[in-house]
Amino acid sequence: MNTLGGHRKPVERVKVLLGAVGLLALLGAVVGIGQVLRHPDRPTGVPEEQLEGADPRDDINCPDPLPREGEPRDVNRGSSSVVDVSSNNLYDCPQSYDGQRVRFRGEVVGALLHRETGVWIQLNDDVYAELIGPLPAHRDYRGGNAGVGVMLPTQLAEQIDFVGGPQTRGDVIEVEGTFHRVDPSDEVAVIRADTARLTTSGEPFPDPVQTDRLVAAFLAVLLSGGMVVAERVVARQR
Amino acid sequence: MLFRPDRRDFTLIGFYTGKVIFGIGLAMCVPAVMALVLGEYNDFASFLLGASLAIAVGRASELFLFTKEPLSTSHGLATVALSWTVAPIFAGLPLLLSGHYASYLDAYFEAMSGFATIGLSLANDLDHMSRSVNMWRHLMQFIGGQGIIVVVLTIFASAGGRIGYLYTGEGREEKILPNVIRTSRFIWRVALSYAVMGTTALWLSLLHAGLDPAGALYHGANLFMAAFDTGGFATQSSSVAFYRSSLVEIVLLPIMTAGGFSFALHYQLWMGRRNELARNIETRTIAASMLVMFAIMVVGLGRTGTFTDVGVMMRHSFFQLVSAHTTTGLATVPGRMYVTDWGVLAPAVLVSAMGLGGMAGSTAGGIKAMRVGLILKGLVRDVRKVLLPEDAIVVETFHSSTRRLLTDTQVRAAATVLLLWLVLYLGGGLIGLFYGYELQLALFESTAAASSGGLSVGLVRPDLEWPLKIVYIAQMMIGRLEFIAVFALLGYVLAIVRGRV
Repeated sequence: MNTLGGHRKPVERVKVLLGAVGLLALLGAVVGIGQVLRHPDRPTGVPEEQLEGADPRDDINCPDPLPREGEPRDVNRGSSSVVDVSSNNLYDCPQSYDGQRVRFRGEVVGALLHRETGVWIQLNDDVYAELIGPLPAHRDYRGGNAGVGVMLPTQLAEQIDFVGGPQTRGDVIEVEGTFHRVDPSDEVAVIRADTARLTTSGEPFPDPVQTDRLVAAFLAVLLSGGMVVAERVVARQR
Repeated sequence: MLFRPDRRDFTLIGFYTGKVIFGIGLAMCVPAVMALVLGEYNDFASFLLGASLAIAVGRASELFLFTKEPLSTSHGLATVALSWTVAPIFAGLPLLLSGHYASYLDAYFEAMSGFATIGLSLANDLDHMSRSVNMWRHLMQFIGGQGIIVVVLTIFASAGGRIGYLYTGEGREEKILPNVIRTSRFIWRVALSYAVMGTTALWLSLLHAGLDPAGALYHGANLFMAAFDTGGFATQSSSVAFYRSSLVEIVLLPIMTAGGFSFALHYQLWMGRRNELARNIETRTIAASMLVMFAIMVVGLGRTGTFTDVGVMMRHSFFQLVSAHTTTGLATVPGRMYVTDWGVLAPAVLVSAMGLGGMAGSTAGGIKAMRVGLILKGLVRDVRKVLLPEDAIVVETFHSSTRRLLTDTQVRAAATVLLLWLVLYLGGGLIGLFYGYELQLALFESTAAASSGGLSVGLVRPDLEWPLKIVYIAQMMIGRLEFIAVFALLGYVLAIVRGRV
């Protein structure tokens, strides 16, 4: 590898190794600071067997088997009886539940989107919704969120007080309605609900101030301030 | 023959890497202010901590490694690769401290995904994430899309042309203006102009979708950064589907497309040369590719019977195709349903679109339309040579800002890099197969990671095997830097071990 012109004096390998160790130590220190200052590990008290999540390698067992591509699909147009479903059921087997009357329960998250025809809500039925509660109140990491979009009549949406988001646990509501692979409003994989009942009220959940983190940040500001001043002083002298 | 690096080599690389880390530290002050204003005090402390450490390291390199020596190409490339390796460690610190990432590896993955504008996420419980941390995820895309080095070039312009080699090390070959500093500032001017227009348009469309004004601004600004920088992060786990709004999608389409355009093309358009759109080899290649792929996608979705209404099928399939081809990764359909409800042909089109990618010198990833266009032109020229008399001279040209002669060297270089990309896609796919994932899933996710496509079928998730996380991180970085910078850094390592004195 060519370097600059003039006399070259390669750095001894030992010194290079020491330098690399030093760099790794610096980066390791940043990682270590992060590990030390993380949120406390508070137990959620929920048994492990209730928290098993889906794996993309798991076999999908749909009520109606999927035909080969190109073959006519016998899409279920639904019976009048209500079926309890999860978001995994609906996304794994959308053809099986298309047009089916379903019952779905989840936490309201994000925002209520008021339209002329009703209110769009996002209902999450993942483990954070009803079982272990939202992060960062604990350190039980169970993956991403899972949920379904639901169109609610405006008057049914009025019972929603809390919408899940930062430091807020949303209301958990149970809806009944028809699942559509493609809704009449052209949205994909949503439930058009005609009944809804509040099962658990939401609430703000506090994120207590981590004093050790504030102290560490203050010390880091002093350090960086010192480095900036030192660098400026030396730069003026150059 | 490799020579062992000397002290000046290490000083140069360390000095300029320190500048990049300093820049990242300054950027972290933005979400720090936001966290303070919103009362997210733990996140405020996290950003203050991360910013201070990065600034301290940056100033330390200025203090102890100061040099006025000029950069060579190899120094620039190695600096870029080292910067991209180190920056996510500092950028990932506030992510880890947010409480939404299971490990530092996950936080590092997220930061790399942000800077490389991939859009794959390992966030746990995104829907309860604080706004400042969510904004930092999107800001990383904005910074990374323009180029971390471009940020440095813009801020530290006094270093002048000496740092020009950093610009090309970050996968940018075209200098739009004679001076790289002016080029970098032009890139920022375009980005900020689009930011104002795009955020305003999104804000209005999100108001129409039912959000309140403050929420619409927050979502709009973040959506813009995700779309223009073809990043694909979203503030909600359901991505663009959350808004249930065709108007929002319509506004996003030109923003994503603008992100897929090269900044050289933006310059031509900025100067009023609109006919460049029709004459440019890359726009022509992408237009042809989109046409063919859209047709195949429509056939595929028609066979599966996923959509019964043509208009609805057009809406969702076209959005997904543009999102994939520009390597943005925003979605209006749950990712799992690509596998369970879109058959085989349509997802294959999405994988191909991500793999091909956008224009060279844009925020998009993938093989790039320029290379595909050059190879196709080369093929046409070779066919003509065969058909014409032996002593005929065949000349092929292409248009990219100006008319240029097509040379064997260009075609060969394009083909070589295309081969490297295919190896990258297939390599990641093979490792996915090793862990028991189906071919369709493994290849989809590998291509998404390497091409910065970002659409996901659910394979990338927080409980993904850690070796696969490392593989995808490597793919993201190699894909974003387009191989050469990474090879340069590895070359320095090899030179240390085996180089001659």
